[in-house]
Order: sequence, then C-alpha cells, then structure tokens
Amino acid sequence: MSATKRYNRQILHWGDERQQQLGAATVLVAGIGGLGATVSELLTRAGIGKLYLADDGRIDWPDLNRQLLYNESDIGHPKLGIARQRLQQINSNVKVELLPQRINHSFQIPADISIIADCLDNFTSRFDLEAALATGSFLIHGGIEGNQGQVLTLQKGKSQLLAEIFAGTQQPAGEIPVTGAGATLLASYIVNEVINTIFGQPQLLNRLLIISLSDLHLSFLEV
Amino acid sequence: MIKIQFYSLIRLLLKQEKLELPAHDNENVGQLLQRLQQQIKTPFLHKLLDEDGEPILGTIIMVNRRNIHHLEKLATPIQDSDVVALFPPGAGG
Repeated sequence: MSATKRYNRQILHWGDERQQQLGAATVLVAGIGGLGATVSELLTRAGIGKLYLADDGRIDWPDLNRQLLYNESDIGHPKLGIARQRLQQINSNVKVELLPQRINHSFQIPADISIIADCLDNFTSRFDLEAALATGSFLIHGGIEGNQGQVLTLQKGKSQLLAEIFAGTQQPAGEIPVTGAGATLLASYIVNEVINTIFGQPQLLNRLLIISLSDLHLSFLEV
Repeated sequence: MIKIQFYSLIRLLLKQEKLELPAHDNENVGQLLQRLQQQIKTPFLHKLLDEDGEPILGTIIMVNRRNIHHLEKLATPIQDSDVVALFPPGAGG
C-alpha cells in the first residue's frame, strides 16, 4: 500500500512534506497505560517512523476501561509485548522498540530520541524520566485525574523543569480515578502536541493546557 | 493590583477563573490567600493548607510562573502586578 493512499486523509490536511517528517520521526512513549496506549496507537496510525515504548506493567482488569490496545485475553501478559503486536497489526511500517523497565533514577534514554511523551501515572517516575533527557529534547507531559487533566511541553535546558513546576506535589493515596473518555481525550491532545512538535511548531511550549471535562473548559497557565 | 488565577478543581470550587486584589504593603502569599478567602466568602483554604497552615501537597501555588516551593513558600513576598496561580495537577496517566 502506498503512503499516499494510506495517509490520504491526513495528507489532505497537512501535506506530503509533513507526512514525510512524521515518517522520519522517533518518539518515546513513557507509560503504555490509559494515556500511552492511545498515544501509541494514534502515532502508529499517523505513520510515525519509530516508536519506543517504556513500561514494566502487566495487563489487569481495571486497565480495560481505557487502555485501548488491550483485551480480556491479554490479562496477565506484559503490556509491551501485546502493545507491539497490536501496533504492528495496525501499521507494519512503524518500527516499535521496547524498553521493558521501570522508569526510575537509572533509566537511560536511547540516543536517537528527542521527543518524549510522558504518559506516566506518578510524579516520581516523571521526574526520573525528565532527569534522563538530553539537553534540547522535548518533553510532552500529560496527566489526568478524574475530570481534570493537563498537557504541557518543555524543552530540556531552555524551559523550567517539570520537577520545578510540580515541586512538592505528592502522589494521591490509592488508585487514581480515570475514565475511558477522559484518558482518550487527553491522549488526543498529547498526540496533537507531539505532531506539532515534530513539525517544529509546539503549541504548548512552556504553556500548560488545563482541561476540565466536567464543564468542557480549557484554560492556559504560562510556566 | 495582584492577579490571582484559579485552575481545575479550584476554579470549579470558586466558580471563577481569576480575581484581582489591590496590593498590600509587606504581604506574603499566605496572607494574600487569607485575604482572598475573606473577599470571596467561599471557604477554599482547606484545599490548599493543612491544619497547621502548611501547603497540602496536591495543589501548586505559583508566583510569576515560579512554584513557591522554590521561593519562600507561603512567606514569599507579594507585590503589585504579581500573578499568582493555584493549580492542582492531575497525577494519573
């Protein structure tokens, strides 16, 4: 199948040159859960060149309300293996590399990555991920809790650190409430911003987009 | 004037996005928040501060784009034209 036919609907939107930019791009998706599963799928469908997936979790029943890559038959399996299988069924042109490890202070980012989607579910791992970034890398951060979520782009070395912006923030006790609609919507905003960044036009650089699903309100906070 | 911006659950609780208050001499963030609560007559400090008046680790307070955690916390001085933002980020993914 030619790329021109496969990506026809989006090439009509952004043109051949940008489609080629997407096909040449590499993105790390950190956390392949509620946000990361959908982010990975949409980037794969869009024709990203190469994806790195980082996660050490296994698929469990509470994941199925929102983690679109996984099904009942996947319960108990490591997320990354199933994710790669589904993504390659969707688009076999996309290279998918796996980083099956917990993101902590020893996490290292492969050298060919300059755009990272933070789809993690806790602040400690987010700060460890950020610490591992090379100078100049773009971090697209997403977070969700109940009906509220945020997306923010930072460039290492030029922006404030996420760890500075969210300093003192404590992980809530227990499970965090997340719906399928909420996670999917936030993931779509993250993908939109990842693609904007690949095109050299991030819209949320040093600018937090705060999304309230309860009253469909968007607001911005400069950081 | 001091511009105070409310985000996410704080915005929903207070039913407004922002408010401006005149600057007071020698005021800090903690005192400004107390004055804000008196002004708007909606209790909200329990969402930001614990029983000892210390920040609850769930809402970030920024002054001119800087988290007060890196400034002088609630003792951070506030001046005319400062922008204060209250934002509880979503932690999940």
